[in-house]
Amino acid sequence: MLTTALILFPIAAALVVAILPLPRETTAGLALLAALMEVGLWITAVTQFDFDDGSLQLGTTREWVESLGISYSVGFYGFSLWLVGASVVVFAAAIGYALWAGRERTRAYHALMLLLLGAVVATFTAQDLLLFYAAFELMLIPLYVLVGVWGGERRQAATVTFVIYTMAGSLLMLASVVAFGVTQGTFSLTAGETSDNVWIFLGFAIAFAVKAPLFPFHGWLPLAYREAPVEVAAVLSAVVSKTAIYGFIRIGLESFPEPADDLSGLILVLACAGLVYGSLLAFRAPDLRGVIAYSSMAQMGLITVGVFAFDDLGLDGAILQSVAHGLVSASMFLLVGMVERRCGTSDVDALGGMARGRPSLTTVVLIAGLIALAVPGSATFAGEFLIMAGAYDQGWGYSVVVALGIVLAAMYTLRVISAILHVEPGRAVRKEALDLRPGELALVLPLLLLLLGLSVWPAVVSQSAFAASTLAEILP
Amino acid sequence: MTITGAWVCLLAPLAGAIAITLAGTRISRRTAAYISTLTTFVAFGGALVAFLGLWATDHGDREIVSTAYTWLESGDFRVELQILLDTLSSTMMLIVSGVGGLIVWYSMGYMAGDDEERRYFAYMSLFVFSMLMLVQAGNLLLLLVGWGLVGLASYLLIGFWHHKPEAVAAAKKAFVMNAIGDATLALALVLLIWETGTLTYLGVFEDVDGLSTTTVNLVALGLLGGAVAKSAQIPLHTWLPDAMEGPTPVSALIHAATMVTAGVYLLVRASPIFEAAPDVQALAAILGAITLLVAGVIALVQWDIKRVIAYSTMSQIGYMFVAAGIGAYGYAIFHLMTHAFFKALLFMTAGVVIHHLGGEQDIRKMGGLRGLMPRTHLAFLVGALALAGIPIFSGFWSKDGIVAAALADGGALGYSLYAAALVGALLTGLYTFRLYFTVFRGEPSDFVKEHAQEDHGEGPRSMLIPVGVLSVLATIGGLVAIPGVWEPFLHWIDETVEPTVKATVTQDYATSAVAVTLGLVGFLLARRAFDAGRQLVTGPAVWRVLEHKLYVDEAYDALFFRPAAALSTALRRNVEEPLVERSLDEIGAGTLQVGGEVARAQTGLLRTYAIALAFSVVVLVVVFVAVR
Repeated sequence: MLTTALILFPIAAALVVAILPLPRETTAGLALLAALMEVGLWITAVTQFDFDDGSLQLGTTREWVESLGISYSVGFYGFSLWLVGASVVVFAAAIGYALWAGRERTRAYHALMLLLLGAVVATFTAQDLLLFYAAFELMLIPLYVLVGVWGGERRQAATVTFVIYTMAGSLLMLASVVAFGVTQGTFSLTAGETSDNVWIFLGFAIAFAVKAPLFPFHGWLPLAYREAPVEVAAVLSAVVSKTAIYGFIRIGLESFPEPADDLSGLILVLACAGLVYGSLLAFRAPDLRGVIAYSSMAQMGLITVGVFAFDDLGLDGAILQSVAHGLVSASMFLLVGMVERRCGTSDVDALGGMARGRPSLTTVVLIAGLIALAVPGSATFAGEFLIMAGAYDQGWGYSVVVALGIVLAAMYTLRVISAILHVEPGRAVRKEALDLRPGELALVLPLLLLLLGLSVWPAVVSQSAFAASTLAEILP
Repeated sequence: MTITGAWVCLLAPLAGAIAITLAGTRISRRTAAYISTLTTFVAFGGALVAFLGLWATDHGDREIVSTAYTWLESGDFRVELQILLDTLSSTMMLIVSGVGGLIVWYSMGYMAGDDEERRYFAYMSLFVFSMLMLVQAGNLLLLLVGWGLVGLASYLLIGFWHHKPEAVAAAKKAFVMNAIGDATLALALVLLIWETGTLTYLGVFEDVDGLSTTTVNLVALGLLGGAVAKSAQIPLHTWLPDAMEGPTPVSALIHAATMVTAGVYLLVRASPIFEAAPDVQALAAILGAITLLVAGVIALVQWDIKRVIAYSTMSQIGYMFVAAGIGAYGYAIFHLMTHAFFKALLFMTAGVVIHHLGGEQDIRKMGGLRGLMPRTHLAFLVGALALAGIPIFSGFWSKDGIVAAALADGGALGYSLYAAALVGALLTGLYTFRLYFTVFRGEPSDFVKEHAQEDHGEGPRSMLIPVGVLSVLATIGGLVAIPGVWEPFLHWIDETVEPTVKATVTQDYATSAVAVTLGLVGFLLARRAFDAGRQLVTGPAVWRVLEHKLYVDEAYDALFFRPAAALSTALRRNVEEPLVERSLDEIGAGTLQVGGEVARAQTGLLRTYAIALAFSVVVLVVVFVAVR
């Protein structure tokens, strides 16, 4: 029941926000309240969840179209619970940011954000392929509109590219969903049916590769991350991208064990290519958003390496890293948004020197940046280390690429930190640009505190992401 | 009690850093300085309790592991937050927190009046915590955590004056070069996880004999990579001279006394692994020998007072690498300790001079400071004598021990190292006294007369007391290991790491005679050159090559940075923009156009979606037909 509540509550809240003719601030405040209550619901779910139990929990299953084997089936596993946790927290921060930034057409905007949240939770919890497909698609519609209406100057181009890429992925996935259902006689993911059809697997894999995105399916990424409102970019990179990881694990590995194993070499190579390629482009991107966008691509490559390492180290690392990267990438995007609002640009050349006289901004940017570059001791380091160790099982070369990724991450992230904070003030940085205000700190600090907590105790996620019985099922 | 002391030692500086950060502007700058100093001395107290407790324990039981909780876990693999207290780590704890406490105290005077004093002290406390984590860690992953965090603190403190572009560049360079070391270290750990299933020191050392030669060599190479980067040994040394952009107490603490010697600690701590990979261990000694010579020569042509001392640091760490590489572990740690005393002392007296001259670091503008700053002069002289290995001063005992061990090691490698170490002794005498004479002797230069701040004296008491304490330590600190007479220090370390080479008393004293003679020759040559107004290195070509640090920076720039940057730009121009980003421009434009013609009221967006849905139906039909 609780799962259904987690899905339906934000959607219901979206309807309320859309319908009630309230003033702007009240509408946005209501949306934030709903997002915070969603966090509360998630905490309730955690308290009721038994992490040692590998079966589906807190779920609901109702037959829907019995003749076709379609059901409404939702529920949590350990790893999906953590992914949803990162999502609800990031959404609360993003909606808070939108409130603070005062987005135009407030009712529509917040209704769409809440709808998106509901769709994300549904994607992470769906246990029926058609339901999963519907939720996966439902995420896209609010995203198209959020980018297309509230985006920057080139929002049209960004949206069209985004639509075409994701639709292409979705179509392939729809074909695969149907083919899976027809060949296996059920759409249920809990029935334990597996398929060894490579083509059906590929349909899913490409859809997830676009969503993540993996190299070379990332054509939509630079424009979308640059043109979207900054909190939408945060949600895209922090949360929406992780549905691909969820899909790779829940559907790719669990329903297609053989094809996933057969094609793991190809996917690992693409993931590694994306890790290096994204890092190199991040290193020379001319604007902060570009750096974070490409670094996000690099990180998704890294996490995918963890998934296809096919061992407990890699999988646990992938989930830990998904959670940590979600939190840190959302923090970075929101911080870039705060810098953009002060300076009107995120061009690296035009910024700088903001450390002087702005202690809060300095501290927050440093903490977020240093966690982003996976300084040893941080949650991101713990995740990367597990992935690096797990990947060794598939070949030492993958571990070396992950290690290279750590060095490259240091290079491009230090560039971001220095671009904002160091040396003499850039031409876009005016004296009047203030330090972060309490309202802004209240948006970013919770994310950073969670990250610091996770750095003190990363085992809380890594040891509970998969119950032993689940792993035994997934791993060859 | 013993182990509680160790935990207090670890956590007190962390508490200090957190307190200063949280308090922000609510506390005065002075209070922040007091919090930082006090917590570091609390850590020293904890270390002392742990040390004495260990001292009182029976010989066989001086190895205590204490676990707090499981930090990281996945399947059967788990890493705990645990500390290992043994004779080696307790010694390191005393050095780190003791010298650290003195330097933080000194900072109080040195940094007084800086805009961002609170941030400085928060970073210093963070550093002390990280360094203690590094030496107290009970497993290799926790060591890597401390390893990375000291690098982080070093980055923050080198770039402390963040408005200076050189400082920021130096900080980034230090971080990235250390990240390379972190990465090789992490890879070595990955290998160990798969080969031994654990990362605890004791577990790994038990299994090390069962590993294949290739595996052990690779693991040892990975560890060595980390050690070389952190300790600024050739070929990953170029970041250290640039790191002198940071405040002088930072150079004293991080880039002389503690962090840069972490590589030596790792070589000693992981000695069972290196002994199983003798080629790699020899490589460590060879790299150390090369570094001690090259850095010693480059130090002869530097004009910046701090850079001379920085190159000297590289050179002295080279000695420690030689010691650890041939298995004279006790002497490696012994030299680490005496070096911490006299090198911190040299940096701190240099800091007093720089302070006195209003921030000037160029020794060409200095001179004749002896009369103006008698106490500083005396302290510097003590440091110089210890560094040059003049008898009874601390450096004499530790350095000669290393040189004698190389002789005792014998063979082609041992004798080569012995020769290099002796040449190094000569170089040390040369660059040390070149610096000493240029700065302190002769007539006061015009610059000095103009800038010397009379009312300033030689600095506040918070600076002079630590300098005084370190002067005493640099003088008598070596008396804990007198060959053949009284060697408690070495016996203490030997309990944890048994040396594989030990010089006889004859070898010891014969070596000392040669080494001291060479040191004195260095002193005399430096003096003659100074009296004659000459430099020690003549010939503009040689000078230029040395001044450019043998063009290693330029080589790295050409070999790694530029290609990476060029590759990145090329990828953006030739792949990302034309192929990936613009791939859909035409399709997108076309779709919009078609859409616009069909129904102007709707947006192109919805139409694209509709078209896509239509496609999907087609695909579905195809699928159904194909599957049936």
